Amino acid sequence: MIFQIVLVTFALFAATRTVKQFRAQKVSLHWLLVWNGLWAVVIGVALWPTSADFVAHLVGIGRGADLALYVSVVVLAYAVFRLFVRQEETQRDITKLVRKIALRDVDESK
Amino acid sequence: MKIIAIIPAFNEESRIAAVVRDASSFVSGVVVVDDCSRDNTANAARSAGATVLRHAINRGQGAALQTATEYALNRLGAEVVVHFDADGQMQGCDIPAMVEPIETGAADVVLGSRFLGKKTNMPMARRVVNRLAQWFTVAISGIRLTDTHCGFRALSRKAAQELTITLDGMAHASQIQDLIVVRRLRYVERPVTIVYSAETLAKSPSSMRAFAIVKDILKDKLITRV
Ligand SMILES: Nc1nc2c(ncn2[C@@H]2O[C@H](COP(=O)(O)OP(=O)(O)O)[C@@H](O)[C@H]2O)c(=O)[nH]1
Ligand SMILES: [Mg+2]
Repeated sequence: MIFQIVLVTFALFAATRTVKQFRAQKVSLHWLLVWNGLWAVVIGVALWPTSADFVAHLVGIGRGADLALYVSVVVLAYAVFRLFVRQEETQRDITKLVRKIALRDVDESK
Repeated sequence: MKIIAIIPAFNEESRIAAVVRDASSFVSGVVVVDDCSRDNTANAARSAGATVLRHAINRGQGAALQTATEYALNRLGAEVVVHFDADGQMQGCDIPAMVEPIETGAADVVLGSRFLGKKTNMPMARRVVNRLAQWFTVAISGIRLTDTHCGFRALSRKAAQELTITLDGMAHASQIQDLIVVRRLRYVERPVTIVYSAETLAKSPSSMRAFAIVKDILKDKLITRV
């Protein structure tokens, strides 16, 4: 029960943020609809948890909640992996830049 | 042959000048990379006669070696590049013997070894770490060396061009060994004397650093290179 309230409150909060951004002309109507459609689904599933079971059954998983958990673990694992690679690339770019400056600014007068 | 010593240095103000002078008597030029030291390493090195390159952000020993290598190859026309430490643990008088296999054309890369004949006063804990490193290196790079993490090396111009170091930290030593195998370079080991003073030992807690090196290597092997 508490969990449902937290989830719905969070979704409503996120939805109002998107509306605000739309008003401030930071996002297009298109993305306002995409995001708020998503939050509507979240609210729907939070209030009627069994509604997601239908989708879960389609892919051979017993409960909608389990499906949501599996999907989020995979998405998070992939996100962490991507971040890791990006971070490494950024580090290498910094080194290249530092090297370039060092080679450019060398004082050869002796 | 034009021999250039390259010396990565980080907070070595008190030692670098003597090291530059020591190395200078055995090479045609000395390039020091001051890796954003907080002390006066750059000036000390410059007044001892070295060309000093400065990293505006600390990037690590591997990164500094690569910077100095590019300078030595492209601006100084180096024919031999010698990797040398800034903390006085290596002896300039070992340089001629290190370079000799390259001058005679017997090898592309000469790797210094602390365990070939010459005696060192290396502490027991370091010997153990080094033995583990040796096995690890066989497993990772497929190259069997008596000493896997001695920073003393001599590279022919060709080898220096091919061994591009992208691992910025201490793991560059493993990367060099990897590339020696991948690029099929001819290598030999030569004995060198490494001095362990209380000062240098206090500076680098080697056993902990071994973990950082292993982490960098695995990260490179398993994740970043995919
Ligand atoms: N460029 C650069 N050099 C470093 C850094 N840390 C250590 N060094 C240098 O690398 C060399 C070897 O470092 P040291 O701590 O003595 O390692 P050890 O002799 O292998 O135990 C010395 O010349 C140091 O000045 C760093 O962060 N950047
Ligand atoms: Mg040292």
